[in-house]
Amino acid sequence: MSIQDKVPVTILTGFLGSGKTTLLNRILSEEHGKRIAVIENEYGEVGIDQGLVINADEEVFEMSNGCICCTVRGDLIRVLGNLMKRRDKFDYVLVETTGLADPGPVAQTFFMDEEISSEFTLDGIVTLVDAAHIDQQLGRSDESSEQVAFADVLVLNKTDLVSDDALDTLESRLRDMNRMTRIIRAENAKVPIETVLNLSAFDLDQILKRRPTFLEPEYPFEWTGVYDLDAGKYELMLEEGPDPEMSLVALANQGESEEELKDGAESSVRLYAEKANSLVPGNTIPYGEHINLKLDDKGNKSFILNIEKPTKIGLFTQHTAEEFNMKVIKSDENKEIPFNTERFWQVEHEHDDEVGSIAIERFGDVDPEKLNTWMGRLLSEKGVDIFRTKGFISYSGNPRRIVFQGVHMLFTAQPDKEWGNEPRRNQLVFIGRNLNEKEMQEGFDKCLI
Amino acid sequence: MPDIEPFSPRGMFHEGWTAEVNDYAIACGWALKGKQFIVGDVAGGLFSFEGDTGKIIWKKENIHSGGLLAMAIHPEGEIFATSGQDGNVQICNCHEGKVIKTLDLGKGWVEHLKWSNDGLFLAIASSKKVYVFNEIGEEKWISEDHPSTVSAITWSNKNELATACYGRVTFFDIVNNKTNQKLEWQGSLVSMELSPDGDIVACGSQDNSVHFWRRSTGMDAEMTGYPGKPSHLSFDDSGKLLATSGSERITVWSFIGNGPEGTMPGELCHHTEPISSLAFSNKGMLVASGSRDGSVVASFLKKDGNGDPVGAAFAGDLVGAISWRPDDCALAAVNAKGVVNVWKFKVRTNLFSKGFK
Repeated sequence: MSIQDKVPVTILTGFLGSGKTTLLNRILSEEHGKRIAVIENEYGEVGIDQGLVINADEEVFEMSNGCICCTVRGDLIRVLGNLMKRRDKFDYVLVETTGLADPGPVAQTFFMDEEISSEFTLDGIVTLVDAAHIDQQLGRSDESSEQVAFADVLVLNKTDLVSDDALDTLESRLRDMNRMTRIIRAENAKVPIETVLNLSAFDLDQILKRRPTFLEPEYPFEWTGVYDLDAGKYELMLEEGPDPEMSLVALANQGESEEELKDGAESSVRLYAEKANSLVPGNTIPYGEHINLKLDDKGNKSFILNIEKPTKIGLFTQHTAEEFNMKVIKSDENKEIPFNTERFWQVEHEHDDEVGSIAIERFGDVDPEKLNTWMGRLLSEKGVDIFRTKGFISYSGNPRRIVFQGVHMLFTAQPDKEWGNEPRRNQLVFIGRNLNEKEMQEGFDKCLI
Repeated sequence: MPDIEPFSPRGMFHEGWTAEVNDYAIACGWALKGKQFIVGDVAGGLFSFEGDTGKIIWKKENIHSGGLLAMAIHPEGEIFATSGQDGNVQICNCHEGKVIKTLDLGKGWVEHLKWSNDGLFLAIASSKKVYVFNEIGEEKWISEDHPSTVSAITWSNKNELATACYGRVTFFDIVNNKTNQKLEWQGSLVSMELSPDGDIVACGSQDNSVHFWRRSTGMDAEMTGYPGKPSHLSFDDSGKLLATSGSERITVWSFIGNGPEGTMPGELCHHTEPISSLAFSNKGMLVASGSRDGSVVASFLKKDGNGDPVGAAFAGDLVGAISWRPDDCALAAVNAKGVVNVWKFKVRTNLFSKGFK
């Protein structure tokens, strides 16, 4: 059976009081042309006549091997096993969990049980959070951070009870924990229905269309400009900006293709890891070094760029050029040289929570065998702490890109569309608890050819 | 829809009759010693046909609001019981389908029904509880809550009932309200069958294994390596062969000699998609299997569990249930499209069969 014929299932999670029942009722009462079967937890209280509502006790079944990744929800297997005989009565399933439910076994049920996976497809996991209380809940319980980590969509509910500033802070905290998720703010669980149903959250192309940067790694810099410069003396001019200093790496011979920009970014990441040399206005900027421009002075500040022979200079700056109205000026002509190309990067944040996301992006091909060995070992050692994995991989010799999906230790790798003219690259995101980014990136690098 | 080509009955299967019910047929059985065939569909429709001709005798609709979940015909074949999502059990008379008694067990699904072999008791499983009623619907016994939803029930002798749930099989003496035995094992048990003498307990488990115990010795064993969860189990009438399946293959364990531990099971590979129903004939070593691909095959087994197909037929769609007529001279299959097929089955004689083409 192809994925189009399978019945999509949305899992609705969230702490008690986050607004699950309100959202569920909203979904059921709205005109969307879908016939939805609802599997409600034992404490659920959907008071609606239409549709097929089935109550089920949450029964979490571990296997004899003790592996939490093989743990499934027995009640769902029974109820869905029966529902699949009534395919003509519904075309969508919503599973509501209690606030204390671990989303892992719910999601795993759709991978682990052949009968279920042959008829149903997990469309997405929607987690509601109560904007006023989630900060405390995250500190207190593993379940709430796991529900955030598993979410394809996070509905930040009850925003009317919280200030905009607090919401921004909260959103960035949640974003740090789960970079894959789409965050929607809502009052009284009022969200457009299409943001929670038919997400095809396990379809990477859909996600990338919506959020093209979600698979990208984070960088210590926010912006790159590439300038085509003749030999001569130039000034890098900055006005006052949001910070009294700014880090920067200048690279000579910087290409402008996406691949060359990423290569430059990789080199800059390594340079950013080194201690920065401070420069005051009037100093000359060296190439291939991590420097820190001191910008305490009022008004315009200039730094010198010396070009010996014509080249393209890449400036990898901590903030965007716009924030400081940064310009490159040819000294003798007093003429501004605009950049040829600019590129914005995902900026890394401080990660306070144990739960977080790691992204790995590398151009080139991987050796399938090495990758399998590495992934196999990673997931068997860390599978308990890795909640979700998504991404795609370029296998050497394979014309198609390989799409990865995983829940804990379970993952599928399926051939997807052909690469065609696109540069071959690998993008993976892991969401989990206490993940070691450096170790994982190094592990992945060893799989590259 | 199955992707195999339709085919005419072959080997020992011969054209019988066909009929239709309103929805996905999930339960069926022979009543009145094979004179009548009763089919239940998922929507709660019940249909009774003449066993020889397929002529409809009576039908009823919506007997359980929310849908039918189980049906069990009394061993004498005069009455039967049905259960559904409405939390009710109905005891009906086979002749006219008239309801003799309705039992209201609350709001949980009633998923399993089993008459005791002597027909004195009807065991009923709903959520975490098991109930025993007599033939006229008087309550005789109720279990305590099990640790999880009861996934299978079966009678081990006339007063003793076995229940399976997550992590354990329990034997209850329902007359003296005693727990006779608990067999524990951490795993989600999805199916259970007992050998006819009640000694061997076999359970299919969610982790793709079959676990079994010998009650007399307390020995247990685990048979792993199934490609899917073994939802379908059937013992032959001698209790020597156990057919199991969780995929398109049937694995047959032989309990003859020191087996099945350390022995190679028999393997039957006749279907292209997973087995959806499995049943030994009432007598002898014939096992019939129905598959999601719509095919139905009868295989004649040897003592080691291996065997050969002796007949095959096409049921048109996923086989929801199969049932041998009490004399084993016909096999019925009902499918996901609500089609009923009854084929005559020519019992093997001393003459050599022409074989399977």
